[in-house]
Amino acid sequence: MSRSNPKLTRRHLLKGAAAATGALLASAPGVSFAQKASTINFLRHRAQVEPITILINDSPWFPGFEVLVNNYVDATGNDVNLNVTPFAGMLEKSRNAVQGNESEFDILNLNEQWYMQFYAGGLVKPIKEIKPDFELDPNVIEYDSSTRWDPNVRYSTPDGEIYGLPINGNIQLFFYRRDLFEAEGVAVPTTWDEVEAAAQVFHDPPQMHGFTIRSKPPNWEYQAYLESYGTSVIRLDVETGEWSVGLTAPEALEATNVWLNLGRNYGPANYADMGQAENLALMASGRLAMAHMVGAAAPNFDNEDQSVVVGNVGADVVPGGPAGRATMSGIWVMGIPHNLPEARQVAALTFLEWALSKEAQLDYALAGAIPVRQDVYEELAGDEKLGWWMKAMGDSTPYIKAQPRLAETPQIVEVVDRRMSQAIIDELSPEEALQEAAEEIQAILEGGGYNVTPLE
Amino acid sequence: MMATSAVDMTRQQRWRLSTFLDANFQYWALAPILIFLAVLTLYPVGQLLRMSVSDLAFVKGKLEWTYVGLDHFQTLRNDPVVPDALKNTLLFVVVVVCVEAVLGLLLAILVSRARRFAWFYRSVYMIPLLIPPIAIGTIWRLMYDYNYGIINQILFELGLTGPLWTANPDLALVSVMIVDVWHWTSFLFLIMLAGVESLPYELSEAARVDGANEVQVYRHIFFPLLRPTIIVALMLRTILAFKVFDQIFLLTGGGPGTSSEVISLYIYKVYFVQTRLGYGALLALLTAVIMSVFVVFYQWLNNYVNRQR
Repeated sequence: MSRSNPKLTRRHLLKGAAAATGALLASAPGVSFAQKASTINFLRHRAQVEPITILINDSPWFPGFEVLVNNYVDATGNDVNLNVTPFAGMLEKSRNAVQGNESEFDILNLNEQWYMQFYAGGLVKPIKEIKPDFELDPNVIEYDSSTRWDPNVRYSTPDGEIYGLPINGNIQLFFYRRDLFEAEGVAVPTTWDEVEAAAQVFHDPPQMHGFTIRSKPPNWEYQAYLESYGTSVIRLDVETGEWSVGLTAPEALEATNVWLNLGRNYGPANYADMGQAENLALMASGRLAMAHMVGAAAPNFDNEDQSVVVGNVGADVVPGGPAGRATMSGIWVMGIPHNLPEARQVAALTFLEWALSKEAQLDYALAGAIPVRQDVYEELAGDEKLGWWMKAMGDSTPYIKAQPRLAETPQIVEVVDRRMSQAIIDELSPEEALQEAAEEIQAILEGGGYNVTPLE
Repeated sequence: MMATSAVDMTRQQRWRLSTFLDANFQYWALAPILIFLAVLTLYPVGQLLRMSVSDLAFVKGKLEWTYVGLDHFQTLRNDPVVPDALKNTLLFVVVVVCVEAVLGLLLAILVSRARRFAWFYRSVYMIPLLIPPIAIGTIWRLMYDYNYGIINQILFELGLTGPLWTANPDLALVSVMIVDVWHWTSFLFLIMLAGVESLPYELSEAARVDGANEVQVYRHIFFPLLRPTIIVALMLRTILAFKVFDQIFLLTGGGPGTSSEVISLYIYKVYFVQTRLGYGALLALLTAVIMSVFVVFYQWLNNYVNRQR
């Protein structure tokens, strides 16, 4: 494996040694040409496919991905280059790659909020067009069909064709201070009502806060509340192909009131300005009893350099409401650009199939990444170091819900973020915020040419 | 005879051409740079205009343009964020430019009068300008943090409850303004200092000899002579302040709500996050038009001041 900025690696050393030996053999007297060729061929390593280049974002889980790639290179002899890019440049680089005559990247890492643009535009190749007999291992979690695209309804549905394969299984978890819960004899909450009851026990500001919401930006976690009350920002009726905006439903108001109540009454005074980093810092510094945040935050609580609560944090499935529990996905899928020669597409798929195998995913998880296989979560549930949150990740799979996955998603998300933020600071009442958001989203869908049910 | 006449004609034509070229040489000499500027400026502006009346979409790897006429103007009329963003931007520009100009001028006067360590003050006041905006945003974000920030910790030690710097919608934009003043005052200070130090010392000295007091010297000699410098400094700073992005992006993200949303940040969101390239282009044009109004105003002011002199 190599990165864009070249440095001497073990592979380079081996290649150099092989080349030198080949040159020696070629110049050795008394060795036939056939013998020389066969020996050199053997020394060229066991590469089966073309070298590939992967566009990957720099992230907390990148070291795990690097281990995955190194393992692949060692196991297969196939060469992989990594183009490591900050999150902010990923979309632009991905777009540029699929616009030219031939993509510079063989695999694009696509975020949940923009992968649909690549599926819908045919910018990544359907997997079965590369390998007609491809079957997705049932243990690979599809995160509410994020792997698929159904052109008939212009959405990711279980009937859609596979365009991408998941590589990072970010979902939300419920984190709580296990030591405090055990000391007070409080059961781990499974509903928002129970969260409030527990928060009342522990809330003692400013030393200890009962619970925090993420308010900057709020949309991702907020959507779990909506889902747990039986509604969502937008919903597709697959039978009729009709979209509806769920924010004017009475359930949306109930969910919003619960969310606001928990955030305002059991969070810190700056509840209107709490991002993921702030929530994480509050929990890691021992000043927060419960939080609802991305599962990938878990390793931070075990890091002695960052956390004063090492070994004292527990994780569970996100609590629910009348419609049950829900955790939103925020995953990454890998797609193969449409503008690649067949050999490179095959090479890219060879890597992806290997990367999704159970063995590869186990090492991937142990190296700090978020795996995408259910059997890996189940196996690691008993792991001494990771088991406390890997079990919660595995238990959450049945509750995974998708964010809106349309080309207009960024617009819709902006509306939800802005209007809910206005509700948090009381600039708008919850009713006004939901109504305004619903009208704006309705207009976005209608402007996008979707068949939309009139607002309630 | 005929042949001689033809030769004369040719000579005459050459002479005319060379006379013409010589007479207008200053314009010919400018031609390369004008063509260069036209390519670098007019073409992008033309593209921006074209984008503002189009919808752009990436289809099968190609950028497709669809002419939509004035549809984006309709979107602009119905966009609830733009009025807030424009109001915040104008408020931000007026406040920070005024405060920074006053502070910059005061510092420039004080440093120009300093008898010792003037070099030291110059260097120290320049430091904020040298720090990358991304670092400034991050540093101040940490300092403003309600739970861990050093500002509120100091206030707590003094027995005071620190404000919600970036979480209070009434205070979020003010918090960004404070950072901006800290960052950009040195820019105005440097321009003002250059202006102050270039003023003829003899005039103020003569006025003092004639009995003028310090207030009179500043009012009737110092400030009138410094006006062109002040106007240029204000114009430059206004243009830069209008484009404020990094500090707001890092400190508040435009929130809470839309309390600190500014037009540059909103254009970024529309253009790069929401990928509404056509509408984003229209917003960029709108910004350019508003900034042009400021530039024209400053140029009028400059001409007016020069006429007064």
